[in-house]
Amino acid sequence: MRERFRALDPHLLWAVLALIALGTLTLFSAGRNTPQATIWLKQTLWNGLGMVLMLLLATTDPRRLFRYSFPAYLLGLAALAAVLVVGRKIGGSTRWFMIAGQTFQPSELMKWITLLYVAQRLGSRPADEVGRLELFGAVGLVVFPMLLIQRQPDLGMALSFLPILLLIPLMKGLRARWLLALALLVIVGGFGAWKFGLKPYQKQRVMIFLDPSSDLQGKGYQVNQSRIAIGAGGLVGKGFTSGSQTQLNFLPVKTTDFAFSVWAEERGFLGVLLALGLFGLLLSRILDAARVAHTYAEAYFCAGAAGIFALHLLVNVGMVAGALPNKGMVLPFFSAGGSSTLSFFLALGLIMGILHRARLK
Amino acid sequence: MDPRQQPLLRQRLGVLKVLAWSLVALLVLVYAWLQLVRHGEYRQLALQQAVKVRPIPAPRGLVLDRNGHRLVDNRRALHLVIQREDLPTRPEVVTALAEALLVDPQALARKIQSYRLAGKGRPLVLKENLDEAGIAVAERVRARFPFLSVEVAPRRVYLGDDLAGHVLGYVGEVDEELMKGKPGVFHLGETIGKEGYEASGNDKLKGVDGQKRILVDQLGTEVANFGQIDAASGRSLFLTLDAGLQKVAQDALGAEAGAVVVLDLRDGGVLALYSSPSYDPNLFLNRLSQDMVDRYLANKVTRPMVNRATQGIYAPGSTFKLLVALAALEKGIISPTTPIYCSGRKNFYGRDFRCDKPTGHGSLSMVQAIAQSCDVYFYELASRMDVDDIHATAEKYGLTERTGIDLPQEKRTRIPSRAWKKKAVPRDPKWYAGETISVGIGQGAVGVTPLGLARFYALLATKGKLLTPHLFYGFREDQSDHMEPAAFVPPKDTPLDPKHWAILDEGLYEVVRGGTAAASALKELTMVGKTGTAQVATFVDRAHYARQAKALKDHALFAGYAPRENPQIAFAVVVENAGFGASSAAPIAKKLVQYWFLDRLQHPLPAPRGKLVDPFAPQQTEAAE
Repeated sequence: MRERFRALDPHLLWAVLALIALGTLTLFSAGRNTPQATIWLKQTLWNGLGMVLMLLLATTDPRRLFRYSFPAYLLGLAALAAVLVVGRKIGGSTRWFMIAGQTFQPSELMKWITLLYVAQRLGSRPADEVGRLELFGAVGLVVFPMLLIQRQPDLGMALSFLPILLLIPLMKGLRARWLLALALLVIVGGFGAWKFGLKPYQKQRVMIFLDPSSDLQGKGYQVNQSRIAIGAGGLVGKGFTSGSQTQLNFLPVKTTDFAFSVWAEERGFLGVLLALGLFGLLLSRILDAARVAHTYAEAYFCAGAAGIFALHLLVNVGMVAGALPNKGMVLPFFSAGGSSTLSFFLALGLIMGILHRARLK
Repeated sequence: MDPRQQPLLRQRLGVLKVLAWSLVALLVLVYAWLQLVRHGEYRQLALQQAVKVRPIPAPRGLVLDRNGHRLVDNRRALHLVIQREDLPTRPEVVTALAEALLVDPQALARKIQSYRLAGKGRPLVLKENLDEAGIAVAERVRARFPFLSVEVAPRRVYLGDDLAGHVLGYVGEVDEELMKGKPGVFHLGETIGKEGYEASGNDKLKGVDGQKRILVDQLGTEVANFGQIDAASGRSLFLTLDAGLQKVAQDALGAEAGAVVVLDLRDGGVLALYSSPSYDPNLFLNRLSQDMVDRYLANKVTRPMVNRATQGIYAPGSTFKLLVALAALEKGIISPTTPIYCSGRKNFYGRDFRCDKPTGHGSLSMVQAIAQSCDVYFYELASRMDVDDIHATAEKYGLTERTGIDLPQEKRTRIPSRAWKKKAVPRDPKWYAGETISVGIGQGAVGVTPLGLARFYALLATKGKLLTPHLFYGFREDQSDHMEPAAFVPPKDTPLDPKHWAILDEGLYEVVRGGTAAASALKELTMVGKTGTAQVATFVDRAHYARQAKALKDHALFAGYAPRENPQIAFAVVVENAGFGASSAAPIAKKLVQYWFLDRLQHPLPAPRGKLVDPFAPQQTEAAE
């Protein structure tokens, strides 16, 4: 057993434990005097379960997991297709399976399976031997589940697949014409999405982001209240369970999308520095794992994982501050939720496994 | 095959690490901007939406009758409101709200706009006095429109229901025309008296709103109170009204249209003032439904909103003969004992004028003429005078002015004169002598309010004192029934010659002793008065009655005072379309006198008890009206 625990990377472990501590305090405060008063307890159970999974994966040889990535990918696609048919509809979108009274969101896990599978395919040979066709194939592997997810619809989740494509410049380097092509893609794709792909509420969100004051009582209300909460926090914050925005319910969906605003209001800028610093350490350590990984696939997986974590961080923390559009993307270890928590821990377990194997050699 | 041997990959991973820390640094900058640079601004915004200054509505004073029985009480009520700082701005939200509340969207939008412009103050009331069903509806609407709130504020309860509707009136939200008419007097959303004494005594009854600083949550629910200035409730008032006598008047009139006024001869206090059909002021506290408008406000058939006692102009008929007699005596055109012969009719200016008794009364003195209500006698008196002589006498004894009662919109009694006709009938401004003959028996252009008539008989009762009728009796200083009496306007003396008075008093005595109202005499004390039957202005729609194939009968009147030896009250009774005054109005006067001097002392009627029940009082089970 002791051997097993030794597989846990101490840097990652401490950063994660610290973030979980902050997240639990946040949820405790956010749930107070609301019907969700015990949400911190529930989240602690998810965290516990997640850490057991993390421990199991950390002691598993990553190569075995890569071997199963293809069937897992197929299963994931099947699940995404199935959820559109038999999924539970909540708030206008069909994203969840109901399993034993719990909601389960397959897209959360699918993100990591897709990364695993793409990393495995691209990492089977040295980078300069990978042809253009294979690269396009990888893009297709990423875009296909994204399209299925956008059918739910869940644009935030779909966009969180994008960091996987980071692997391509990582392998091939960044070239000027790629940037041009990307810019073209963004313009054409953006126009196309605006014209055909986006639901009206999604368009509205973009409009409100461009001019938040246009809709202070409607959709812009949430971000506006969140900015007030953050700004009112000041340097040292209002104090634990003492944020007026949080405790008087001005802050919306404060246990999930806007959990970080609760932290920012009650613990202030110093608390924000602490949390962001921990996230920085986490990202840094994951990228270290990429550097010491034994195979390309492992390195790619770690790099992609860092990208996904970074995107969640950027979009959520930026969104609640009003610096990015109001996109439903959770913040790891802060936002309550079973599927996302377990998925993050699974990814961390895999990374720890990679680190562990690198250390053994 | 080992990626660690790939310098390019290592290099790119290094770039990614720099990017990761740059991302963290960027976010730190964003938060530094919000939390350090703009902290003050956001702290202010957070404070603004969590800490609110809310007005505390002041309860209006209670209204009690002269014996301390409550006529108007306050109860706790819930209202669906929008606080001033929560007024919605977006037109589609306003439209959706109007649809949810089933009100006109444009009117609501206008109202919201004017409340926004008015700044701080009372909230905009959307639905007042919610009952249990109303609360359920309000909560449902509130779930969709979180800027709505439910406010606790006192509401009025009129305990006698329609016992004294016209006297008490009712309250409502101040309307914008009134506010524009008197700038700076009222505040938007303020509750003011709309009718009756609630309106005329508004300044006495209204309190001063308080204020509190509270912490609210996102739904506007009060979470903590940081301190408040209590509301000062309005002072409670006693009215001169006697609820028991008022009830007798109400029961005596029953379903008949008409009016009853009883005055206290000591000070002019109004002991009873009832106008039939009456209305229940409780019904007017909520926004009026179309049904209410049709039944009350727009009802041209029975006009229940008119206070017939102070706003109804009736031809006084024979009750006016006392004034004609007085004018003749003062003019010296006749000695009271000089007989005048009545053959049942007499010709003046080529036109036949009939007496009530077709066979004629024979020779009559003035006292006998009053007792028998002989028309020919008074035609004769009128023919010897000018209409301006009668008008001058009426003016001298206060009949041409408003009585000055403390109720809104009192109508002025109309006593014709040459000058009056010039103004009122410009197409035919000349006064014809024949018209004076009609005036002699209280017909033609003569019109009095029942209150004005009662005041004239009060003048006769007091040998010439002109009283100012009033309802305000005194203040209640604490919760006890102890009253601090109000100063009343002292009666004015008039130059009524005691000799003339004695003749009129004698005449009135004979009316009840053996004249037209002999059937309404009381054994125990002497009530005196004069019957009248008049067929002129009416509040009933003649066309309506014609459609119903009903003959339009005369109005019946009776005015007088009691007891004769030591008069304490004067009264006037009008029963519309009831026929002969002696048979329908005089018995009502008899009931009033009977109650006031005999029954009241043994068995006073109980205090008025309203049907209305506070829906929030758990011990009550009866449903609210």
